Amino acid sequence: MDPERGTLRVMVVDDEALARDLLREHLSAHPDVRIVALCANGFEAVRAATETKPDLLLLDIQMPKLDGFEVLELLGGDVPVIFVTAYDEHALRAFEVHAVDYLLKPVAPERLAEALARARSRLALGDRAPLRSLRDLVAATRSGGRFLERILVRDASRVHVLPVDTVDHIEARDDCIAVRAGGQTHLKPQTLAEIEALLDPARFVRIHRSYILNVDRLAKIELYAKDSRVAILKDGTKLPVSRAGYARLRELL
Amino acid sequence: MHPILVRGRLPIYLAAWGPIAGLWVALSAAAGRGWREALGLALPLAVLYAFACLGSWWLCRALPLDWAHSLRITAAHALAGATTSAAWLAVGRLWSRVLAATLGDPAVVSRYLGDLPLLFAVGALLFVLVSSVHYLLISFETSRAAERRALEMEVHAREARLRALTAQVNPHFLFNSLNSVSALTGSDPAAARRMCLLLADFLRSTLRLGGQEEISLDDELALADAFLGVERVRFGTRLAVERNVSEDSRECRVPPLILQPLVENAIVHGIAGLVDGGTLRITAQRIADRVEIAVENPRDPGGRRTPGPGFGLSTLRERLAARFGSEARLEVREAPDAFAVTLRLPARSGHGP
Repeated sequence: MDPERGTLRVMVVDDEALARDLLREHLSAHPDVRIVALCANGFEAVRAATETKPDLLLLDIQMPKLDGFEVLELLGGDVPVIFVTAYDEHALRAFEVHAVDYLLKPVAPERLAEALARARSRLALGDRAPLRSLRDLVAATRSGGRFLERILVRDASRVHVLPVDTVDHIEARDDCIAVRAGGQTHLKPQTLAEIEALLDPARFVRIHRSYILNVDRLAKIELYAKDSRVAILKDGTKLPVSRAGYARLRELL
Repeated sequence: MHPILVRGRLPIYLAAWGPIAGLWVALSAAAGRGWREALGLALPLAVLYAFACLGSWWLCRALPLDWAHSLRITAAHALAGATTSAAWLAVGRLWSRVLAATLGDPAVVSRYLGDLPLLFAVGALLFVLVSSVHYLLISFETSRAAERRALEMEVHAREARLRALTAQVNPHFLFNSLNSVSALTGSDPAAARRMCLLLADFLRSTLRLGGQEEISLDDELALADAFLGVERVRFGTRLAVERNVSEDSRECRVPPLILQPLVENAIVHGIAGLVDGGTLRITAQRIADRVEIAVENPRDPGGRRTPGPGFGLSTLRERLAARFGSEARLEVREAPDAFAVTLRLPARSGHGP
């Protein structure tokens, strides 16, 4: 919240025009609220949020391209969010990502007012920093405890959706991971251990301290020196394999 | 498993042989033979033959009763009876020698040999008799299994219908629709009123048709239309519908709510996931004695996929299987950017099958 002018800059994300209209109408009753963007899908939302830096997101969950949780993952930890959805079964995941509130459709103006009050007090406390960890966010994008199906990366305001089948390998680089997929490398601020925990262990193996390999891509393993091996991928790429990594690979194959 | 060797039936079976053995002993005694000879010969041989006749069960199983082959079946049992009886009497001859030695009366053997033709005929007859008992048991068990299967199928069908009734109105659909009504109330009250009427129309026809055994395809199409009418308000231009229904398919009788879940899936898992929406295609046509109903929709090739066939489809498949058995088919065709479900049902028009 901009403390001087006291306005709350809100972004509304919903794929249904009528649902956006309804929120806009309800929000118009709050003079301190200014709508900075109305978005119809996840891609638009990520772009608009990056550009306008809203104070608060009103976010639908079921949307084309990216769902609400994925939008939140891509925006990183610190935008307060109120989920607005017809589905009550996502409430627990919403709680895990520290949502300000969880509104059910049809939206009651009183409940919206309550949620806005909660958001204002949270913002007034300056309680922005430790809202949520990336780990919680990424974990929340998996519904029903399944393995990660796609990796989302953002460069500037562009979003790339990488289905995990297209991923060749993932490398740890400083504070980031470098995801190699479809002949391109995408950087994402995450640790290798975090992404490893989310991937299907029957398909992705930590072959080295710094590498996770999609086992489908493996062509052969060669002995390089005593106790040190190298994995040769189908496209010719060579990756180091540690002793523990080799043991894990052998167990799987 | 042999039906007589299980569940305590063996004692009953052996007891049934008691009168036969008794008759044999009595007849021997009446012919002036000693009790020891009569009992010593008849009892062990009767017990032995009782067990030998159990073997006919495998023959009964290999040759199920069938009028077209009654001659062959009779001949096979007669032949098996003769063979078993002959083998039994060969053993009996050895036994008569043992008995002759034990009783110190060599004439036991010759008296036994004198009875052979009669014993052979009775043995063969008894074998065939046991065969018929086996056939009786087999048909009894088959009919019991069929009864159980029919009962299971009925329970299954009832459950499926109940589930279909409870699942027919997706609560999310209702909540989203009410949210749209709420939105329209402010901006376009006339449209809000229209939406309420569409929703009422859909709910009323669902309740009315859902409870019936079968309805005409025309009614089912109207129900899907009512549903689509509501969804079109929500999705606006994102949802386009194309229908291609042949006139002769409209009269066909179908179970209620077979099209509506397909249309709903097509929207929830297909069109709703597309930024610009797409066209949902419904086709129905009659081909010879079948009616073919198909729902096709585009989908986002990069979208998330719910694994498995989905609850709606598996419920529908169960309902069709419970009702039509193998007569109905539910076929799914998947491409990265499209999804299609085709139903093929026996075409029945008018009332009754």
